[in-house]
Formats: sequence, C-alpha cells, structure tokens
Amino acid sequence: MKQAETFILSEREQRKRKIFASLGQSLLFAVTSVAALAVLAIIYFIARDALPFFNGLRVWDFFFSTAWYPTATPPKFGAGAIFAGSLIVTLTAVALAVPPGILAAVCLSDLLPFNVRQIVKPVIEMLAAIPSVVYGFFALVVLAPFMQDFCGASSGVNALNAAMILAIMALPTIVSVSEDALQAAGRELREGSYALGATRAETLLKVVIPSAISGICSAILLGIMRALGETMVVWMASGNAAQIPSPIYNLLKPVRTLTATIAGDMGEADQMTGSAHYHVLFAMGLCLLLVSFLCNLAGEWIVNRQRKRLRGG
Amino acid sequence: MRLTTRKWLDRMFSFSAYSAIGLMMFVLVLVIGPIFVKGFGAYLFQGTIDYRRMMLNQFSRGDEQALEAEWMEVKQERKVIYTALSAFEKELDALPPVRRKELKPCYKEVKEAVAILLGPEPGAPLPALPRRIYGQTRWDRAQLKAKNVLFAETWDYSGNEGKKVMKPREPLFEGTALAAIFPIVRTDLKKLMRPRLTFYPQFLTDKAIDAHFFGGIGAEVMGTIYLALGAMLIAVPLGVIAAIYFQEYAKEGHVLSFLRSCVNTLAGVPSVVFGLFGLAFFINTLRVSPGKSVLAGALTLALLVLPTVIRASEEAIAAVPRTYKEAALALGAGKWWTILTVMLPAALPGILTGIVISMGRAAGETAPIIFTAAVSVGPLVLPSEVFTTSTPALSWNLYNICTEHEAVDEIRHVQYGMAATLVLIVLALNALAIIIRAKVSRKLKG
Repeated sequence: MKQAETFILSEREQRKRKIFASLGQSLLFAVTSVAALAVLAIIYFIARDALPFFNGLRVWDFFFSTAWYPTATPPKFGAGAIFAGSLIVTLTAVALAVPPGILAAVCLSDLLPFNVRQIVKPVIEMLAAIPSVVYGFFALVVLAPFMQDFCGASSGVNALNAAMILAIMALPTIVSVSEDALQAAGRELREGSYALGATRAETLLKVVIPSAISGICSAILLGIMRALGETMVVWMASGNAAQIPSPIYNLLKPVRTLTATIAGDMGEADQMTGSAHYHVLFAMGLCLLLVSFLCNLAGEWIVNRQRKRLRGG
Repeated sequence: MRLTTRKWLDRMFSFSAYSAIGLMMFVLVLVIGPIFVKGFGAYLFQGTIDYRRMMLNQFSRGDEQALEAEWMEVKQERKVIYTALSAFEKELDALPPVRRKELKPCYKEVKEAVAILLGPEPGAPLPALPRRIYGQTRWDRAQLKAKNVLFAETWDYSGNEGKKVMKPREPLFEGTALAAIFPIVRTDLKKLMRPRLTFYPQFLTDKAIDAHFFGGIGAEVMGTIYLALGAMLIAVPLGVIAAIYFQEYAKEGHVLSFLRSCVNTLAGVPSVVFGLFGLAFFINTLRVSPGKSVLAGALTLALLVLPTVIRASEEAIAAVPRTYKEAALALGAGKWWTILTVMLPAALPGILTGIVISMGRAAGETAPIIFTAAVSVGPLVLPSEVFTTSTPALSWNLYNICTEHEAVDEIRHVQYGMAATLVLIVLALNALAIIIRAKVSRKLKG
C-alpha cells in the first residue's frame, strides 16, 4: 500500500508541475513570437526611416520623375527610371526562366527515372547554393566581355546580362516548387489520361499542368520575388545607369535597379544622421518590402483557393 | 490529328524537357568551371624568382641561401637589359633631334614596362608600394607584361570602330643599343624570371599585402567564418525552439496562422532590406556597436536564415515517427522530457541538415552585411573584437576587388581564388547536408 502511494504525485507536486509546464509553454511561445514578429519589426523600422521622405510630399516625383540627382543641391529624387529598371530586369529574367523551368520540372517529375533524378536534384540545388556575389562575378568577368565582343552590345554590363544571370538564379526555385506541384497532381490523373489514349505530352500539357497550375503560379511568384530582391548580381551586371533605355525594349542598354541603388548609395548617404538621401533609400526598401509582401499574399491566396477548390470537389 | 504527328509532337516535347535539364547542367558547369579552374590558379601556379623573394621578405618563407644564390644568377641575366637601357640613354643624347623626338617617348614606355616586369633596377631606391618593389611574381602575368616591352599598343581608327593593334617596337630601335633587349625578352624570358611550379596553400590564411597584390585572403575567410558561425549561434536556438512550439505546442487558430504567415513573409524579404533593417535597428536604434560590427552583421544574417532553420527543424520534428513519442509518454515521461530526450535526438540529423544549408547561405550573402558588418580593407579580426569591429568578408571583398579595386585587371587571380574559395565553402557545406540526409534516409529505411 505504502509503495503504491509513491507513484501518485501529491497534490502540491502536481500543481508545481502544472505551473512549470505552463511557464515553459509561455516561454516557448515568447521565443516563437520574437522569431515570428521580427518581420513586423522589419516593416516598422523600414517604414519609420522611409516616412520622413514621404512627408516632404515628393511622392509623385519619386515614382514618375526620372531626374535622379541625389547629391546635387537641391537634390532631386526622381526614381522613375530606377523603378523601370527593376521592372525590366525582373520581367526579362522571369520570362527567360519560366519556360525552361517548367520543362525541367516536368522532366524531373515525369520523364527521368528515379536514379537519374537522385543525381539531378542535388545538381539543381547546387545551382541555388552558389552565392549571388559569385554569379555577379561571373557576369562581370566572363559574360560581360563575351557580350561586348559577340553580341554587339556597347557595354557588356546591361539589362540583358543581369536578367540572364537572374534567370539562372531563379530557375532552381521555379523548378523545385513546380515539380512539387506536378507530383502532387497525382498518379490517378495521369493514368486516367493515358487510358484515354493520350500521349505523354498531351497528358502533361492538357491534364497535369492545368491541374497543377496554382502551384506553378506560386513557383513563378517566388521566382519574381527572387529576381526582384536580388542585389549583388544587378549591382555588378546591370550597368547602374539611372535612365530608361530607349527604346524601352532595348535590353542591351545599362539600367539601374532599386536593390542596386540601395546597396550602392547607402555608402554615400549619411548613415547616422539621416539625410534626405538616407530616407529615400529606405523608401525604396519599403517599396521592395511591400511588393514582396504582396507577392507572398498572392501566392498564399492562390494556394488556398486551389485547396478549397479541391476540397469542394 | 494523325497518330504520327501526335507521336512526333510527343517526342519533341520530351526532347525539349530533357534539354531544359541539360541546359541547367550546362549552365552550372559554365559558371563553376572557369571559377574553379582559374581559382585553383591562386593556389597552384608558376611562381617566378620575384615571388620567392617577396615570400622571403614579407612572410619569411623559403630557403634564404638558395634564393640568394639564384638571385645572383638572375641578376647577371638581367644585367644585360639594364646595361642596354643605360647605354641607350647615353646614345639618345647624341642622336639627331628628329630621331630623338621619335624614340624618347617610346624608350620611356620600354623602361617603364621593364620596371614593371623585372622590378626596380638593383641599387635604385626602393619604391614605397610593395607591388613596385618586386617584378612580376607570377609567370602568366610576367608573359603578359613582357608583351608590353615588346609591343606598342596603338589604336587603329580606319574602320568604323577603334581596333587595338599591337605594333612591335623592335624595328623602331634597329641599330641602337636598346635593340639587344628585345630578343632576350622574347626568347629568354624564362631565364630572367625563373618560373617554378609553386603550391601556395597559405593563400587561404595569409594576410593581404598592398591591396591584395600579394599575400592571401586570411582576413576575409576569418570574417566569413565569424559571420556565418555567429548567425547560426543566434538563429539555431530561436529557430529550433520556434519549430518545437509550432509542431508540439501550438493549437490551430488565428494566432498560429498569423505567426506562420509572419515566418513566410520573413522568408520573402529581399536580402538588401535585411541590410537596411540591420542598419536602422541594430546599429542606429539598439546601438549594439558604435558602427558596423561582426555582431550586427551576425544578428542581421541570423534573421535572414531564421525561416530556413524553422522550416527544416519543423520538417525534421514532424518526420519523427509518432510511435517514438507515444512510447516515451507511455513510459511516464512528461511532454517536455519526451521532446528533449526522444523527439529532438531523433530529429537531430534533419535539423543539422537545415543548419548546415543555412550556414552556407549566411556565408555567401553579401547585401545584408554591406551596411552592418563588412569593410573593404581591414586587418584580421580577433575573436575578442567581434562585438565592436567591422571585418572583411569573402563575399563583400569579392565584390570590392572586382569592381572598386584600383587595379582590377592586375589581380584577377586573387578574384578567382576568392570566388572559388567562397563557392567551395558553400558547396562543401551543402555536400555535408546531402551526406547527412542520405545517412538519415538509410537509417530510417534500415
């Protein structure tokens, strides 16, 4: 009787353990919140240092003027050309990366035998692991002289150079996310299509890809985010000329992007006291942050909608 | 559609899909290939006598007596050139004015090119910059510089665009004392430079001399290690605890989905914005250090890799079989004790994989450390200084020496060496992750 009692905890002991458990749990919650809420801190501090710029009511000029003379007196902060540069480089990169990306994803999910896939996947991961500055170095030292000599570009560092490298960097993301989506489409779908007499290409193009389209869209969104947020490659390879290329589809002209401007100008801007130049760079950072935030939301929305549709039958 | 067309289209589709994979492989080889091949040249190359003299003087490496003997021989070989130069200088005064006017600028170019190739004349006062004290230290550079002695670089504008033309100097100096040096430089350059296959593993650890003209990348490698390790020290506890909370404690609801979408958003923040945040928050608001510092950089990088660590740890914890947990709970272990002694050890390899991959990412990132930690030129940072001083780092300095360096073309081998070292560090970490993952899957299977 006495021995059995020792296995049952006294009431006091039980209460003590309960308190410790809830204390531990709240500690875990606190640490998790710190990790998760960091993103709110980022938004707050970027916005805090960006708002003094917008207070000056230079919003229209900021987005649409192309007069970027941050060090003149009085300084002019027309970032229209820089926004255009970011847009040109990002869109070109994504346009270059999406077709081979989806084809490669199809190849990985449906064409290659298991053993080969085990080799190919790490290789694609390697492509993603190479640091961006090394890609930038490649663009500057290998690709730029090549373009200058063989493509008739007046300068090897231009929008096309940066976009090509960005496409390479966005490829692994696009491939792996689309491949997941294609695999999630399921075996039954494919077998049903084959049973109806469709060839492999028809099955993939008309059945599998349409059913995986939401995953592919989020892959493309992730690719856009990767290309838009990339700094070192565009800084080194895009030529950094704050002007809209004329004509606008001339990709062999140098352009300047938001990220490259932030990275390049922060050294000149007065980092401590916070000059107008400092604030305008934060305003650009805020724009980047908002766009990536929107892309994220859009991605989540697409995935949720698809999930609902599937659940609804 | 006819069956043959459909079959043909099917084949075309398969072919283009395979070629997309092939394209990616090709691109990988295209990018990494030249970087590895030329980067290897920073470690293994043909070093000249000037390289060995530089190593002895700057790093006290090498056999002093053997080098002295060799240097004596080389001095004899080089003497011919210096005698020719001084003989021609005397001759120049005696020449008719027209001819003198024609030859003098060219002679000056030759003299300068010789000084760059062989270093200053023995006995002349030593220049201030180490790069001018020695001749060319690498055989490939020496061959390039010898061309400047032999040829005059002129531009031909007869076509639409200017074209570079290398014009031999020899005919111009026909019959003068200077003519003697050209055949020597052309054919006997090896005797002047004494190239020898040199293995320089200390490139990885040596300090840089005279803005990377000589020496290695020790300070940069150290800085990268500090930053990557520091970032992981901060991110791993946070990330693993958050993963435990998400997987084991959190209940479905608005709070959880909000926290999750916060983590997802954090993963999508552009890296340069992390840099801005580090500057605005860690340095200008919290003032963790008076200016840029390793600490501020590591904190910023930690935030950057945090989502990756959380996701990898979550996946690893979720992959632990339910039976493990149930067995531990059935044996009377508390929830916390179960997590600590059963779940985490079982999930450890998966968590390690995530940590190692994130570490590679932290080592390679540049944009977040530009405003928070990195400095272009700096000495090796000691472990005691990490809280206050900024540091050079491989990623930032690679950018710096291939764009902002004053003599970008002269130090290509250092740039390639730095790029190859950085890629090697990152890929080695990734390979380690793949190995861990393979071991885990084998263990789970077996």
